Amino acid sequence: MEATLTTTDTSSQKQPLIRRRSWDEWALGCMMIVGTLALVVTIVLPIYSLLSKSVQNREGNFVGLENFTLFLTTPSLSSSIGHSVFLAFVCTLIVTSLAFFSAYAINRTCIPLKGMFRLILVLPILSPSLLPAISLVYLFGNQGILKELLFGESIYGPIGIIIGSCFWTFPHALMIMLTALSKSDARLYESAEVLGASPWRTFVTVTLPAAKYGIISVAFVVFTLVITDFGVPKVIGGQYNVLATDIYKQVIGQQNFEMGATVSVILLLPAVLTFLTDRWLQRRQSAQLTSKAVPFAPKPRPLADKLSLLFMLVLSGVIIGIILMAVYASLVTFWPYNLSLSLKNYQFDLMDGGGWASYWNSLQMAAYTAVIGTLFIFFQSYLAEKLSGYGVLKGFFQLFAILPLAVPGLVLGLAYIFFFNAPNNPLNSIYGTMTILVVCTISHFYTVCHMTASTALKQIDPEFESVSASLKVPQIITFWRVSLPVCLPAVLDIASYLFVNAMTTVSAVVFLYSYNTTLASVAVLNMDDAGDIAPAAAMAVLIMVTCMGARVVHWFLGDVLLKHTQSWHKR
Amino acid sequence: MSNKTYLTLENVQQFFGSYQALKDISLSIAEGEFVCFLGPSGCGKTSLLRIIAGLDLPTGGMVSQAGKDITYLPVKHRDFGIVFQSYALFPNLTVADNIAYGLVSQRIPANQRRARVKELLATVGLSGSEEKFPMQLSGGQQQRVALARALATSPGLLLLDEPLSALDARVRAHLRQEIKQLQEKLGVTTIMVTHDQEEALTMADKIVVMNHGVIEQVGSPQEIYANPKSPFVAEFVGEMNFLEAQVTQSGLLNSGSLHLRSPKNTLAYEQAVRVAIRPEDIRFTADTNIGNIVNARVVHLEFLGSRVRSLLQLDDRETPIMADISMNEMARLELSQGQKVVCQLPQDRLHIFAGAV
Repeated sequence: MEATLTTTDTSSQKQPLIRRRSWDEWALGCMMIVGTLALVVTIVLPIYSLLSKSVQNREGNFVGLENFTLFLTTPSLSSSIGHSVFLAFVCTLIVTSLAFFSAYAINRTCIPLKGMFRLILVLPILSPSLLPAISLVYLFGNQGILKELLFGESIYGPIGIIIGSCFWTFPHALMIMLTALSKSDARLYESAEVLGASPWRTFVTVTLPAAKYGIISVAFVVFTLVITDFGVPKVIGGQYNVLATDIYKQVIGQQNFEMGATVSVILLLPAVLTFLTDRWLQRRQSAQLTSKAVPFAPKPRPLADKLSLLFMLVLSGVIIGIILMAVYASLVTFWPYNLSLSLKNYQFDLMDGGGWASYWNSLQMAAYTAVIGTLFIFFQSYLAEKLSGYGVLKGFFQLFAILPLAVPGLVLGLAYIFFFNAPNNPLNSIYGTMTILVVCTISHFYTVCHMTASTALKQIDPEFESVSASLKVPQIITFWRVSLPVCLPAVLDIASYLFVNAMTTVSAVVFLYSYNTTLASVAVLNMDDAGDIAPAAAMAVLIMVTCMGARVVHWFLGDVLLKHTQSWHKR
Repeated sequence: MSNKTYLTLENVQQFFGSYQALKDISLSIAEGEFVCFLGPSGCGKTSLLRIIAGLDLPTGGMVSQAGKDITYLPVKHRDFGIVFQSYALFPNLTVADNIAYGLVSQRIPANQRRARVKELLATVGLSGSEEKFPMQLSGGQQQRVALARALATSPGLLLLDEPLSALDARVRAHLRQEIKQLQEKLGVTTIMVTHDQEEALTMADKIVVMNHGVIEQVGSPQEIYANPKSPFVAEFVGEMNFLEAQVTQSGLLNSGSLHLRSPKNTLAYEQAVRVAIRPEDIRFTADTNIGNIVNARVVHLEFLGSRVRSLLQLDDRETPIMADISMNEMARLELSQGQKVVCQLPQDRLHIFAGAV
């Protein structure tokens, strides 16, 4: 029966233009298309309308770069560029060094209580960026308890902004740095020791080069976070104008949307630069460590260990101090005249800013964001990672999914106004509702979640889908029975990340809330604006406690329940 | 094994961009046959398997299974079971759930599924492991579960993608026999991809040797080993010494100062050829009547357990050739390094390949 071998069919058939797929592959493909379109509507189009607005005048006519020229020639506006860059630069320097030494102490020394330090040092991430600013007002403000330490300088201005910014950006920097320093090959250190290198030389030739990309990455991230943050400068910046507060003033104060868009585009530049650098670094970094590396275990070094411990104690003390100050301030009846403790400041209904309703709104918004966001993001990442074919679509999807990382919250919020508030937009009706807040928050924090999901999915055997197809099991069933359960820890991480960020974020939603959808984090801002600083502190503390609660739930679900049900992990 | 053709490939080709991974592959496989795709990494053997499975699509050509054109058929509409090198067992499901994974979708009642799982586990020698998780099993056991899962739906075609490569040597040799016996018992047509020649030689009914996207030779293990059709096959399957030579007027092969009698008499005058001989075919007891005697010096001896490998420096020749001596013969010959020996390259054991390097 070898006869078939000899038939040389010159007109052998070619691959059909449209690949034959089974119905479930088509269905999943449709979902992928829907998901990608959703990203177009919630990310790409708003940013496009922002960009086009920056080159239009109030009447909507194209005016080229006129707005930019006006911005640069108005001294009160253009001075904020210098201010912003200066602040971001100083903060970058401080936070990068602090994060490096903290990560070094945790990963490379034998100090005790590492777990506790880790816990304390990332606490700022659970509070809105306004909390340190308010706390600083109580510590160093006109009636502050440590006012003398400033030797007559005012906390309202660059000093306050720098301290506050450093406080809330530090955990972000620390987490990147911890990862950068944790990956190291013990054999390199052993080789250096065998070759007779001094500890300092080992540090310079082995430790620093390995952490190089981490340090650069941290520097860029901190720079962007500071230059695009508007919470801290709003509360403690005084008359010191920066780009982020300019946008807020132009839009909320003067209803000058075109100038707001113009400043936004300028603000977009450092963020885009950071984003591109980060992409570039990630490509370089991946080749750094081989899978055969032996993990590094620190040995006791009395002097280095003692210095590190001292450093960590001081740093933790400062962080705890700032947080406790805010907690204390929120409980004091009437600062500084009646220092008896009460819950008077927690009677939010007596203040401006939306009262307790705004807290419940925030909780609701965070819950929706966590649930809907996690489902959407994880499922879309799954499709992008595991669905066969659809190469072009996936390329666009990946691009749109990492785009939000380059867009500061304030810019995204403004872009949402332009896009969703346009009278000819059919989605116009979601403007001013809870929906737009949820959609905007999910979009704002999309990238990190997408990357978490992708990383987890990449670690799963790529042949699972092939096996299930050969067993004639629809892919969606394999998703439900295998991929999702295996990735549950990552799914919980995403949900917790979205919840905490939805609770604490101010930047994007400050342009989008309405009378019915006031939010707790925005209430902090508005109460502070109205001079109700103590209630603002109280609300900030309440947000922080809520986030801590979320983290406890996350820990319980992840470490207690999952460890128990996922017994398959154990050998 | 019947003679009925079960799977046919006609002019299958595949491009990745401008790189051609498979060039006009044509092949037919009989029902119940155990076929090995053998070749170095990058030769296209895995690409070909994935095309047969429908996991990748060919750029051109046709694949038919049991008389049906399946070239562009979606994976789910094909009839095969597959086992991967990585096992690809679902880590969060028990062994029983893994094996029954495909049965659930076929709406087979639970009690029948249980019976089938039990039967399959017995077949692969893992009875009683139903409730274990994959991580609790050794590599060899996991691969047996993967095999049971692939066989659960009784597919007409079993595809094995380097199934033994991740296992250590002892387990590998053992599982090799088991898979072969199981395949014979079930009579399922099987295609295995491997880069391990020993695996292919011991398991296959038919070996397809591939290199650079083309089929170099198709044949039984004995044919492939004894009559390699190309220098590549000769070198890839087993070991081979090569000598450059030219055909003289009298049909002799001239290689430097050597004059060898050729097993073929169809060679053209002055044709450049490569003469090849396997290390175990070189004889140390020369029979002068047959000719093909060479003088050599032992430059190195390497103890390999059951035999000794010697490196022989032939007169006026730079690269030494390998010759294997059994321990029994070694005891008699008592070779030592530096010793001069006379050995024979038997005429009927020479392989002649046209063309220079």
